[in-house]
Amino acid sequence: MRLADPAATLAYVSLVFGSLLVFFPVSFPRLVVQNWQNARLTPIMIFFTVCLNLGLYLRVAHQRFGKPGIVASACLGSVPVILLAGLNFVLQATIAHTISVNAPNAVARVNEEILAHTFFALIAAIFGPFLLIRLAQQLRKDNS
Amino acid sequence: MTTAPGLTADWTSAKWLLWIILYLCLGLLVPWVMTRAWAHQHHSAVQPRLRQLFQNGELGLVSLMLAISVIWDLQKSQFTSQTIALGSVFLAMSGIMAAAVWIESYCRRSTGTKFTPERAWRDSRNLALLVFSLAMVTEILLDRFVKVVAL
Repeated sequence: MRLADPAATLAYVSLVFGSLLVFFPVSFPRLVVQNWQNARLTPIMIFFTVCLNLGLYLRVAHQRFGKPGIVASACLGSVPVILLAGLNFVLQATIAHTISVNAPNAVARVNEEILAHTFFALIAAIFGPFLLIRLAQQLRKDNS
Repeated sequence: MTTAPGLTADWTSAKWLLWIILYLCLGLLVPWVMTRAWAHQHHSAVQPRLRQLFQNGELGLVSLMLAISVIWDLQKSQFTSQTIALGSVFLAMSGIMAAAVWIESYCRRSTGTKFTPERAWRDSRNLALLVFSLAMVTEILLDRFVKVVAL
């Protein structure tokens, strides 16, 4: 597994996110914020990232004629959940901080913070597991 | 959710679009044009394509520069420190990984270890695309946030 393998897919996800922001500057952010308020955003993101990661891993394994490993599959399934849940706590702290500052236009600022956090969390949840797998492969190669 | 009215007119003040064009021109187009100009000046038949020009993973270096500039913009923004830290870490990580492709290819060529230019080009291209897309979305988010703060 090389990090360049998931990089292209991640770039396309990122470009789609950017395009949605540009072409739907009001409705897309509203959708994200509403889902976050209804506590649906994190489960949706977990489902999306786990499916995408497993699809990516199986595709790379197929291309390289490799056998998918159980440890790597477990990593791809669990790391996005841990990362997204952890980053959700960070987002809560961010929102509490933004509101406590009493800045003008606080609601709009909070919405933008949610949007930025959603994007960075999405990237982390897709790329994190592959980074861990790559590091583990490197460690195993060094030890053997 | 209250809608910030200024956000509806994104295309009219798309600074991030100008920023993208600037990077594409200075990072990719200018080196390619300079190579052509050098070949013309020296009456050489060399007419390298972008792929040949960046076949040793040099795109990784361009990506690192790009990541640094966006991290700098992020640091200057009024986002909360948590968001700034999160964005900066991911941009830095992807920039470093892209630069690592160039370093690995340099080390391989220097030590005579097996080196595949196709792989270096593919890896650096994919990681450069990742850094570029991350940077682009970050700039769009920054642009939106500036508008929200100015309201």
